Amino acid sequence: MTTVPGMGLIRGMGLTLGRFFAPKATIMWPEEEADVAPRFRGRLQLLYDEYGTLKCETCFQCAQACPIECIDMGGVDTRGRFHVHWGPPETYGERREESAMRRAGRPVADPAFTRFDPMDVTPVNAIAEEHDYEPKDLLPMLEGIQAAYGYLPVAALKQLSRQTGAWYAFVYGTASSFNHLRFEPPAVTTAAPAGEALRSAEAGYVSALDAALGGRPTR
Amino acid sequence: MTTPFLATPASWPAILLGRVKALEANPWDLDAAVRAGAFEGLKAAVRTGATGTIAEVGASGLRGRGGGGYPTGDKWRAAASSAAEQRYVIANGYGADPATQIDAALLAADPWSVIEGLVIAAFAVGATEAYLIVRGDDTALATRLVAAVAEAEEAGFIGDDVAGSGHRVNVIVRGLQGSYMLGEETVLIRALEGRRAAPDQRPPYPTERGLWDRPTVVNNILTLAAVPWILKNGAAAFASVGAPDAPGTALVQLRGPGGAGIAEVPLGTPLGDIASLAGGAGGRPLKALIVGGPTGGFLPADALGTPYAFAPLRDAGAHMGSGSIVIADDRACVVDLARLLTRFSADQACGKSIPCRIGLRRLSEIADRATAGTTRAGDAQLAADLSHDVGASALCDHERTATLALASVLRYFRSELDDHMLRSTCPAGVCTPIAVAAGAASRGASA
Ligand SMILES: Cc1cc2nc3c(=O)[nH]c(=O)nc-3n(C[C@H](O)[C@H](O)[C@H](O)COP(=O)(O)O)c2cc1C
Ligand code: SF4
Ligand code: FES
Repeated sequence: MTTVPGMGLIRGMGLTLGRFFAPKATIMWPEEEADVAPRFRGRLQLLYDEYGTLKCETCFQCAQACPIECIDMGGVDTRGRFHVHWGPPETYGERREESAMRRAGRPVADPAFTRFDPMDVTPVNAIAEEHDYEPKDLLPMLEGIQAAYGYLPVAALKQLSRQTGAWYAFVYGTASSFNHLRFEPPAVTTAAPAGEALRSAEAGYVSALDAALGGRPTR
Repeated sequence: MTTPFLATPASWPAILLGRVKALEANPWDLDAAVRAGAFEGLKAAVRTGATGTIAEVGASGLRGRGGGGYPTGDKWRAAASSAAEQRYVIANGYGADPATQIDAALLAADPWSVIEGLVIAAFAVGATEAYLIVRGDDTALATRLVAAVAEAEEAGFIGDDVAGSGHRVNVIVRGLQGSYMLGEETVLIRALEGRRAAPDQRPPYPTERGLWDRPTVVNNILTLAAVPWILKNGAAAFASVGAPDAPGTALVQLRGPGGAGIAEVPLGTPLGDIASLAGGAGGRPLKALIVGGPTGGFLPADALGTPYAFAPLRDAGAHMGSGSIVIADDRACVVDLARLLTRFSADQACGKSIPCRIGLRRLSEIADRATAGTTRAGDAQLAADLSHDVGASALCDHERTATLALASVLRYFRSELDDHMLRSTCPAGVCTPIAVAAGAASRGASA
């Protein structure tokens, strides 16, 4: 550190001067696009205002814009009445219709969570016993479970892991390596449970319409 | 299908339902359909060639029946002239309006006209893949359609060599299930791609960048079902039916105190004539016609002369929408009905654009307050301003039309709305405090 008075100022001005004549780095967006690495994803950060409350107003713009749809978002509307939510699970066809309901502020039975509900695992136990609890037989056991439940419920995989002593990650990993094994019920047959909320909203609309026309069901 | 087809005057042409009688015994019988003239339009198209087919459809003046009324010939030409190695055609049989069964009814009564129209469209725009979209929860219909497509392929109307033209067209039946918004074309495309169901900004239109970013034609199945008839009978014959700027016929679903059902009506028919097909208001004084489904507009009894066509309906504050016409007699309360429709539209909106997500919500709350007798000062003005602003900032057509219910009540039923808003009374006696309580309970129940 020099002690010459004003040296810092002169250096600072020098820097300014240097930058002043240096080529400008302004990018005339949107005419020009920044040259960033193709996999650059920036960094997500939620900002707070001076009162310490989140500035995010759950406008969904970021979730919308996200090219790989990895942004999940939840919140409550301005009057605290409607819970709004948006997130990646909705990219799955089976749940898409409910996301609309959920965003509309309606409670929706969420299959991703009901899948963790207690369930009858006797078929899993029987299948495991049949294969002598042999972890090497994971694939046929998984196929048996899928035949029994129509898909691979999380609870069944956990039970299989418990029964065979294979790590859950190993069970799950094996299951996820095969295209014919699925973790969600097949789209067509799940139309009923998954579409329940939607269906009841539609039925509610139709019956209310009929009621408004004089109580005569016309469907 | 429980919804019956209504009898129409003998002088009205049957373009979409012309073959229904012949197929009554078994609509899925391909041989019977061919005997009744199915796939003759396709053969005519193959003889005329792709460009000629587009020209013929353009000359017929056919406009989309999915609600927008876009000229079909222009749409096809745009897709055909976009440079691409692959193009797609999508038949939109999603039938978004839960109170309307038109799409399912047509597919169940004469699936062949839709399949034929879809193949012609694919042939004309040079698409090798054509999708037929139906409601996912109607698995029986979807399964039947898959079998029907396979049969038509066996018979050489679909597949590697469509009707001896050397062109390849594969038809893929897809059941999709989702909210009301799924019927919108960009949402439908996204859903087919397995992406989030929210509309995309247009332009670029799907005809330029659609499914998998390739030029894509999305047509309503009624639009496609008219195409074979046009090619068989000529563009001039089609243009002579209906209104001059909107030729042809459309299917409407009537629902009211006098009866209900689906009918084929020439475009331009006065609303009153259409309503009387289902018995009008059933002998009671008619109060309003709700034209266009959940996002439709309320038209008063003195608008019965309005022709059922794109421009007159738009000017009157309604639209063709899902083809639904709801008849309300004097027992119905238009404010309560508008509340119901607005609430449904707000609930079904995807939430992508803010004026729609919040504006429709606030509009439905204004309607809630009107029926509950708790209107605040300035609510009527706020409703008018909001409807305008929401409509003007629309990203997709849902937002543009979802405000029609309240806006048309403001326009035509102002005195009834004022009774609710200023005097907390309901002339129809629907929104009494008791009914309001029941209404709130039923809203809770459907939540
Ligand atoms: C909210 C919304 C819902 C729609 N639902 C349907 C539908 O159920 N069926 C349909 O054919 N078109 C529907 N449309 C219109 C489509 O976006 C599209 O314009 C139409 O399928 C194009 O076909 P057309 O040119 O034959 O009319 C809907 C539009 C909006 C905005
Ligand atoms: S207008 Fe409404 S429904 Fe349409 S994209 Fe916007 S938010 Fe979604
Ligand atoms: S600011 Fe967070 S969603 Fe828009």
